[in-house]
Amino acid sequence: MIFKSLRDQRRPLIGWTLGLSVFFVLYVGVVYPSIAEDPATYSAQAVAKYPGALRDLMGGLQDFATAPGYLQSVVYQLLLPALFIVCAMGLAGRSLAGPEESGTLELIVTLPITRRMLVVQLFAALALGLLAVAAVTLLVAWAVAWSAGMDVGFDRILAAHTGVYLLALLFGTVTLAVGAATGRRAVATATVGAWAVLGYMVVTVGKNVDAVSWLRWVSPFHYYAEGRPLYQGFPAGDYLVLAGAAAVLALTAVLAFDRRDVGV
Amino acid sequence: MTAVVQAEGLTKYYGRRRGLEDLTLDIRAGEIFGYLGPNGAGKTTTIRLMLDVIRPTRGQVRVLGVDARQAAVRSRIGYLPGELVLDGRERARDHLAFLARQRGGVPPGRVEALAERLDADLSVPMRKLSKGNKQKIGLIQAFMHEPELLILDEPTGGLDPLVQQEFLAMVREVRAAGRTVLMSSHVLAEVEHVSDRVGIVRAGRLVAVENVATLRERAVRTVEFHFDAPVPREAFEGLPGVRDLRVEGASVRCTIDGRPDPLVKAAARFTVVHMVSAEPDLEEIFLTYYSEEGRDHDLQVSA
Ligand SMILES: Nc1ncnc2c1ncn2[C@@H]1O[C@H](COP(=O)(O)OP(=O)(O)OP(=O)(O)O)[C@@H](O)[C@H]1O
Ligand SMILES: [Mg+2]
Repeated sequence: MIFKSLRDQRRPLIGWTLGLSVFFVLYVGVVYPSIAEDPATYSAQAVAKYPGALRDLMGGLQDFATAPGYLQSVVYQLLLPALFIVCAMGLAGRSLAGPEESGTLELIVTLPITRRMLVVQLFAALALGLLAVAAVTLLVAWAVAWSAGMDVGFDRILAAHTGVYLLALLFGTVTLAVGAATGRRAVATATVGAWAVLGYMVVTVGKNVDAVSWLRWVSPFHYYAEGRPLYQGFPAGDYLVLAGAAAVLALTAVLAFDRRDVGV
Repeated sequence: MTAVVQAEGLTKYYGRRRGLEDLTLDIRAGEIFGYLGPNGAGKTTTIRLMLDVIRPTRGQVRVLGVDARQAAVRSRIGYLPGELVLDGRERARDHLAFLARQRGGVPPGRVEALAERLDADLSVPMRKLSKGNKQKIGLIQAFMHEPELLILDEPTGGLDPLVQQEFLAMVREVRAAGRTVLMSSHVLAEVEHVSDRVGIVRAGRLVAVENVATLRERAVRTVEFHFDAPVPREAFEGLPGVRDLRVEGASVRCTIDGRPDPLVKAAARFTVVHMVSAEPDLEEIFLTYYSEEGRDHDLQVSA
């Protein structure tokens, strides 16, 4: 079942791996060198271009022209996680709610496999699929950073990349769980979209607003972006929270699907 | 052996919509059971309950001796969904191989043999298959692991007459091997030649379960005798079950309700040159179940 799910999704998996690799080549291999040549201008420009709240939204844009600063604020702050989350949402949506809506799930749930085992295996396939994308893009990221002359250790890129993986896995699992509970892919996508956007806003723009800042505890980004792994290395505690949350949500998906009428 | 399928007070509501109400039914080992009913009667609902795709509001159903909730029992069932959906780029052969593995394997060559019988193409991506060709793949996956119980929801939908014949032959072979079949349909004509018993659902309720042989016996049929010389009308009058008697010279025409024995014995007193007996119109009997008036379980149809 795991293998079958991965096989069915091989096109999107390959597509996303290629797409994210191109993203690294462009942002790190092509754009960064020109910034590094003239750091003063670009830093000033960036600060001028994104004033106040907008700069907060971009994660602050500090040390924009240094290698870790650039990676952190341009790549790992927003763009890469956003792309990865969309990828995870797609994979998770196509693994359960999608087939249920199209009707192909009916034959699958009538196989001699328990509903619980089915969801566990779909979750495993999701985790493995994302892991494959993350592993390949990690190597690409490291290779491109190295060839662009960035002075960032592999361990730091690994730390940041692991965070992206866990974040994407978490949102993918939310998609799976909402899909398992409702059978509606659109509901799952909307839930994840809303949670991700609001969660991101809370930890960036909302950081200094007392009324919303307490909400950061329920924002997955709080456990991802605030550890600044490119500077500090592995934020083990935060990552454990992300992984634990994914596990709890996976369990929710298993239990929710076990109780439901399929395809009604 | 106990019944292969045992439903007891099985009820399913979709929210407030009624799908099935209080179904109690036994399907015996080795029989072919035809499950009939008009659109929206509750056939698919019943079948989905048997396969644990949906859960009963009340009541329970046991399949092959265990509760339908047990996943393992499904390796001994072959299921063809009423709304079969097969799509994606995957080729039919690969999908069948996947289903076979999940059900614990299929004898080698079995899928190819079935594909040949049904004239199905296994090398085409499934989304490119026509409706009838998808249905063939659906039949192959239901039959391939030689399950003890076949549950087929409208199996002949989209099949051309030749393939339908082949399918009916496959169903008979399954019975000959002592295995059991439950198949649903809208029309009796589709299942009467293979079914041992038929059940009729209407508006979520099982309104009758009948033996096909008994039905045949009770059915109204038209009989015609031609003799070598004119016969007297009195010889045929007052015979049990005979109605609409018309005697015209050397020919006698009537309808008969029930066994034709007295009529045949009466005719045997003369020299019969030719005899015609039309197939009994079971359909007519069933239509009375479909309509509101057919509520009472009275099989006597006015001729
Ligand atoms: N998912 C659903 N949600 C709400 N009502 C449903 C659902 N599925 C079936 N029903 C209702 O349950 C009743 C029985 O439907 P079912 O699909 O079992 O009929 P059927 O006998 O299979 O009909 P058909 O011959 O058209 O396939 C119908 O009144 C239908 O409207
Ligand atoms: Mg139906």
